[in-house]
Amino acid sequence: MADHAEHTDPNRAPPILMSRTRPQLTAALKQQLLAAWALAHVLWAKAQPQLKAVAAQIGPLLRRASIALGGAWQQLRSAEAWREIRLRSLPMKHVRVLVITDDLPQASLTLAETESFHPDTRPPEEQLLSGLPGRDYREIYQQAHARLEKIAKVVPVDEEPDLGEVRVIEHDELRRINEELTERWAEASRFEEGLRRIDEQDRFVREQQASLENFSNLKIDLGALRNKTRFLDFYVGVVPRENVSRLQGAVTLADHLLFTYLERDQSTHVVIVGPRGEKESQLASVLSSASFQPLPIPAGLADTSPEHKYDELTAERNRLQAEREALNAEVEAWGQAHRDLLRSTRRSLMLAAPFVTLDPSIRSAGHLAVVCGWVPARAVEDLEARLGVSLALPFELESRDPRPAERPLVPTVPSANRLLAPFAMLVKQYGIPQYGEVDPTPLFAVTFLLMFGSMFGDIGQGAVIAGVAWALRAKLGRFYRFGVMAGLSSMVFGVLYGSIFGYEEILPALWMSPIHHPILMLKIALGYGVLFIAIACGLAIYNRIAVKDLKAAVFGHHGLINLVFYLALIWGAVGIATRSSFGTAPLLLVIGALMALAGYAWSHLQAPTGEKILVVFIETLETVIGYISNTLSFLRVAAFSLNHAALSLAVLTLAAMMGPAGHVITVILGNVFVLVLEGGIVMIQVMRLQYYEGFSRYFSGDGHEFSPLKLRRGPV
Amino acid sequence: MSRLREPYLNTRVSAMSERLIAPDEVSALCGLSLPELAQRFGLERLLEEPHDRRAKSRGVKQALINTLLDELRVLIRPMNAVEAGLVLAWGRKYALFNLKTLLRGKLYELDQAEIRANLYELPEHVRLPQQDLFQAEGVLELLRKLEQGPYSLIAKQGREVFEQKRDPFALEAALDQRYYTEMARRLQQVPESGQAELKQLLGAVLDRVGLLWLLRFRFSYGLSPSETFYQLVPSVGLLHRERLLSLVNLESLEAILAALPEPLKTALAGSQSLIEVQQRLGGQVTQESRRLLTKGHSGVARALAYLILREHGVLILFSLVQGQLLGLPRELVEIAVEAHPPDCPLPFQSAA
Repeated sequence: MADHAEHTDPNRAPPILMSRTRPQLTAALKQQLLAAWALAHVLWAKAQPQLKAVAAQIGPLLRRASIALGGAWQQLRSAEAWREIRLRSLPMKHVRVLVITDDLPQASLTLAETESFHPDTRPPEEQLLSGLPGRDYREIYQQAHARLEKIAKVVPVDEEPDLGEVRVIEHDELRRINEELTERWAEASRFEEGLRRIDEQDRFVREQQASLENFSNLKIDLGALRNKTRFLDFYVGVVPRENVSRLQGAVTLADHLLFTYLERDQSTHVVIVGPRGEKESQLASVLSSASFQPLPIPAGLADTSPEHKYDELTAERNRLQAEREALNAEVEAWGQAHRDLLRSTRRSLMLAAPFVTLDPSIRSAGHLAVVCGWVPARAVEDLEARLGVSLALPFELESRDPRPAERPLVPTVPSANRLLAPFAMLVKQYGIPQYGEVDPTPLFAVTFLLMFGSMFGDIGQGAVIAGVAWALRAKLGRFYRFGVMAGLSSMVFGVLYGSIFGYEEILPALWMSPIHHPILMLKIALGYGVLFIAIACGLAIYNRIAVKDLKAAVFGHHGLINLVFYLALIWGAVGIATRSSFGTAPLLLVIGALMALAGYAWSHLQAPTGEKILVVFIETLETVIGYISNTLSFLRVAAFSLNHAALSLAVLTLAAMMGPAGHVITVILGNVFVLVLEGGIVMIQVMRLQYYEGFSRYFSGDGHEFSPLKLRRGPV
Repeated sequence: MSRLREPYLNTRVSAMSERLIAPDEVSALCGLSLPELAQRFGLERLLEEPHDRRAKSRGVKQALINTLLDELRVLIRPMNAVEAGLVLAWGRKYALFNLKTLLRGKLYELDQAEIRANLYELPEHVRLPQQDLFQAEGVLELLRKLEQGPYSLIAKQGREVFEQKRDPFALEAALDQRYYTEMARRLQQVPESGQAELKQLLGAVLDRVGLLWLLRFRFSYGLSPSETFYQLVPSVGLLHRERLLSLVNLESLEAILAALPEPLKTALAGSQSLIEVQQRLGGQVTQESRRLLTKGHSGVARALAYLILREHGVLILFSLVQGQLLGLPRELVEIAVEAHPPDCPLPFQSAA
């Protein structure tokens, strides 16, 4: 073909090959190569010092980057990175441990140490096992734990001290710890009460200062009100605001009057005045009920300046502050003196915690106790061996596979894979896979990255996302990997689209630019949608077969009949697009599948015939409309990739209208805008497709997570 | 409430009101045996369990309260925040029962197991942080813990009173007072357009509480008019603030009954004791609730009326079961469930 082209279209050949013979051609080529070499040599000689300087600067950076990349690659290649990626739940066993009651605390500790025992809290099948041996232990533990937590609010107590030797905390020891903590809490609560009293006094002095400002503006001698007169009874004080109205009514009944002269925060300053007499005594009880606090009227207010009184009150506040500091120092000294004791107490409670946590799962009869739980099948042997080593008295361990009826009770072990961890967190927002169900996390991770990258493909913006996630890894925790992977996916699609910060001319597209091939993008999105929905239906069928629900696997929502209908519909639609005809075979399949679905729905409805017809018709129609609309829903994948390119184009057009500085600023701000706004929207759209089009078809999410007994557990 | 939610709630209430016990049905229910009652109200499982009488009675009461509070949760779903807050505030009385149990336990240093046995298991929307409160060492610490949450106002008022008086009676009175004040306060937040029927209903509830407390504080506990008034909650119905101020100053039951506004005056005329007043006032609240349920337009008012009637029915059912468990004679049970309405003249009976 090349030769043919050379002869038929001479203009396509390079000019150097024209009108020359082969030896001439070789000589000319040699000359040109020599000239190019000479030029390169000169340039290299000139540029060498500068290049060396630059290399010296970027060399270490490149080295570090290569080491980091190498490390990351090694991590990816290692078996660790790929281990624990699985689609099926880890097989579990139901374990029943029969021990002598005296050995229960030690058995609890051993089970906690293995971190593979998820307690089963169901009552035992054996009627004889009705005793609850750990109940008293639990009550004492809870009291002690609550007291320690309260003390920890007054003085710092080591949250997670080193456990040291793992040993059983006996009942008597726990009781002694509780008694010790009761005494310590009595001391600590006195400090707390002291600080509260100082705060209250301080608040009251502040109220007095506010009141003084009011008094000082009055032109009467309030000092005269300090003592009750022969005929008049005075009360000046502070009441909680919500009590004022009722108090006003109550004092009226005692022939007194209430005046409000100041309102501050939640308090109201009032003056109550009335005649002296028998009703005066009624007031004392009412004032007490209303939490009335009398304000002392400063002596000789008329004689001395208000500033002087104000200074006295300020001095009082300073005294309170000094008292507070002294008390704080006392608290600190107390904390230091008891630090070791509190740490040791915390340690003991942490060792006692497994038995308390296990308590609801323990049943006993006489000297025998039974504890049941769920254990990963691969850990049962180790568990039995550890119990054999640690227990002094005989025990028996029985294990069996979960029964079909128990399936909803079996916990699901979450994937421990580090790469999938952030995706697992997002899946968990929807639910935990039921035991036996397919774990959607790996599929979720792959399809999420695929969709996000294709909707937000840009090398530069992807690098920013990955870079920001990497920079914030300390704050984001293990979620940073999610940002890094999303950014890398965006970069990969950026390379395919040839887009870097919206510019499409700098790098050639490895594949194509979406905005120049919109129809193709839409077709690909539709195809992807069909594949996605078909896989989701396939998983739904698998999940039902896994739980032995064959009828639902065939006739249920998104079951086999639904899948046949959907694929036949797609087959027919492709026929219309290519041959302008739906086709007989797909039509028959569609009608057959719909009739099967309608028949199944009809047989399961308990209603009058008219209502049955209506319900079956609407349900069948909903199936048809649902699958069509759900497939069209995937057009958003293409739409957002186009949208992304269009937004970038708009930013660059605006930038082109500016001067050099304006150009740079517009490009930067425009990219920030695209990253924040469109990035956020794309994220939401991808999540919507995952949750609604994917999970709602095949993922029940009503399982519960494996939560094994552990030694360093939080509060029970 | 939006135009769409109002008909929905009204329909819901109408559908649920089928579950209410009709007044003329009570007498017939008194004649049913325990198995018949259990079958009729779906309590077979609870009553067949091999527990002692006390545990059975407790289980039945717990189940009935759960049913009531579950229905409350269903009814508040279509309401806006203010309306839901008002109805939820009504339902918090059960949390208040638990709070009083916990406080009594701390005051009298009762055994934890005994306190626990007297607490109700409540749904999340009205539940107290019970486990946390349990670990409190005393009343003040318990109330301080409760001040951080939806019960903060009740707890604060209770603590202030207890700090001042150290009196269990004053403490419980303060808690009750704040509970009803909270309902009256929430009613004021409901927009004017939806207030009228709610005012009639809560007015009847607060009138009943106000008058009973007034009589009890004045004549049973011998409190002064000032102190009595301070403990009362002004009603949004007949016994508003000014009227309470004039009533507390009167010196006898007869004088107070004679000074009551109509129709309370006619309804309570001739009552000889506080028990009789209590019976007649109870009848008044249920009649007002029935009237609103059948003739009212406001979905929220009808929902609250339904809940009041449902609670009344639940208490009747519990009394019947309790009577059967204790083997009480039918006559006594009929008195307990007020199978025959007290001698209550018009217009209350006709209003129903």
